[in-house]
Amino acid sequence: MSAKTFPWNGVPIAFRDGETIAAALANAGVRTLGRDPAGRVARYFCGIGACQNCLVRVDGRVVEACLTPAVEGVPVESAGEPTEAAP
Amino acid sequence: MSPAPVLVVGGGPAGLAAAAHLAAVGHAVDLVELRPALGGAYHRRPIPGVTPRPIGAESETRWARLVAGIDHPAIRVRLRTGFLGIDGAGCALLDDRTAGRVEAARPAAVVVATGALERVRPRPGWELPGVTTAGGLQVMMKETGRIPEGRILLAGSGPLLVALAGQMIAAGRPPIAVVETGDPLRRPLAGFGLLPHPARLVEALGHLGRIVAAGVPWLRATALETIAAEGDALRVELRDRRERRRTLFADHVALHDGIRPNDRGFPEPSVSAADRPFVAHAGDCREVLGVAAAEIDGARVGAEVAAILAGTSTTASKALARLAAERRVQAVLTRLFAPAIPPTPIAALPRETVLCRCEGRSVGDLAELLDGSDAPGGREIKLSGRFAMGVCQGRFCAHWVAEAAATLRPEATAPTAGDLIGRRWPARPVSIDAVIASADRSDTSPSPER
Repeated sequence: MSAKTFPWNGVPIAFRDGETIAAALANAGVRTLGRDPAGRVARYFCGIGACQNCLVRVDGRVVEACLTPAVEGVPVESAGEPTEAAP
Repeated sequence: MSPAPVLVVGGGPAGLAAAAHLAAVGHAVDLVELRPALGGAYHRRPIPGVTPRPIGAESETRWARLVAGIDHPAIRVRLRTGFLGIDGAGCALLDDRTAGRVEAARPAAVVVATGALERVRPRPGWELPGVTTAGGLQVMMKETGRIPEGRILLAGSGPLLVALAGQMIAAGRPPIAVVETGDPLRRPLAGFGLLPHPARLVEALGHLGRIVAAGVPWLRATALETIAAEGDALRVELRDRRERRRTLFADHVALHDGIRPNDRGFPEPSVSAADRPFVAHAGDCREVLGVAAAEIDGARVGAEVAAILAGTSTTASKALARLAAERRVQAVLTRLFAPAIPPTPIAALPRETVLCRCEGRSVGDLAELLDGSDAPGGREIKLSGRFAMGVCQGRFCAHWVAEAAATLRPEATAPTAGDLIGRRWPARPVSIDAVIASADRSDTSPSPER
C-alpha cells in the first residue's frame, strides 16, 4: 500500500503512482462521486472518457476521473453541488 | 516528403502501426493519446509496479512489434492529449491535459484511430452507481491489477463477457454469473468457422474452460431486464427464453451488448486526395474487426496516407485479404452470439427507463415529445427534448433514441444517430479555461465556430 494520498471532498484517499482518480476511489469503496455539473449522480461507467459520467473537479477544472491521474495532495471534489450522498 | 507532420489520434494498435509506417517513410508524426499511457483497449498497460496479465504469445509479439515500430525519432508521442476536431480554418485542435491548454496545429493529414465504443442497451437501472460497462471494469483490472471488492455480475452479449470472466477467474475473483442473450452452445456448427483461426479458437476455449472449471453459471438465452438499488446492493431481474424469471444480488453489474466504431463527432474520412488536412480512419473506428485487424489496418492506412501526400498511389491487396479473413472471424462470432432471446424494443421499455444518462431523459419523456400532431425531427428531439444533448454528446443514447423514435412515429422520417450527434468540433468536451489559455497564445489560437 502506497503512502501517497489525495483529498476526496476532504477525505484522504490512498493511490499508487499512475493510478487514475477513478481507480483510487473505486479501490477505496467510493462508488457515488457526488453530483456532476448537470446535477446527476456522478459515477464510473465507461472508463475511457466517452460517457462523461464520472466528472469531478480537480484544481477548479471539471475532468473525467477515469482519465485523470491522481496526484499527491491535489484535492479532488465533486463537480456539482455538494450532496449528502457524497462520502 | 511533407514538412507538416501527420497527426495520428489514438495510441492503440491501429494508431501505433500507422505512426510507425508514416515515420518509416519519412514523415514527422504527432501521435496523441487521451490516456496517460499507450496501449488501447486490448493492450492496455498496467501502472508501474503491477505485472501485466499474460495475454498469449501472439499478442505479446504484437505488442512488442508495435512498441518497436514507434521507437523512431520522427514520432512525437503526446499522452493525455485529446483531439477535438478540425476547425473551420482547417486547424486540428488538440486538448493538452497536462499543460491545460488547447493547441491548434496544421497537420498535412489526420489519421483517426480511436478504436471502438461499447454498445450498452438501456435497461431500467442501468444508470445506477455500481453499474459499469464490461470494458470499464476491464480498464480498472488491466491498469491497476485489481478487481473491485464484492459480487460482480457480467451481463449482455458477446465474446468480451466470456473473455472478461476468464480473466477474472484467472485473477482469483470469478464473477457470480455471466448472463448472455445469445446461446453460442446451440450453434456449434457456427463455431467451426473459427477452425482456420487456431489462435482465436484456443483463446476462446481457454476462457470457456476456466468458466466451466470455476463453476461460474453461464446463463445463456437469458436477458438482464432490470437493475434496482436495494440497500447497498443491486437487485437484478433476469428472464430466459422460456419466460422463467430469477433474481440475483450483486455489488457491481458490468454490461456489454457488443461494440461499435468510436467515430462519432470526429471529422469524416476525406473523399478527395486534394483535401488538407487529408483525413483517414483506421482500425476499429473504421470497422470493428478486433485487435489483429487494427494493426494491419493501421499500417495499411499509414501507407495510403503517405502515398496520397506524395501524390502517388498504393495497392494494399495483401492487407485487404488479411482484413477480409478477420471479417470472417467477426462474422462467425456474430452468428455464435446472435440473440436467442429478442431484446426488448427501446420504445417498449418502462417509461421511467433512462435513455440519456447525462441528463436523465427517459423513454416516457421521448414518447411525450413525439406525441404531438407534428413529428419533431432529429434537431428538435435534440434541442427541445435534450436527447443526445448532454456532455457525452449522444454517444450512449443517440442510437437508442433513433430506434425508439422510428418505432414511436413510424410514419415520420426517423432521425439517425448521426443526425442527433452531429460532426462539429469539439468532438469531446473541453474546459473553457483550456480554450482561454490557448487564446492567450495568439499563434495557436483556434477559431471557434460556435
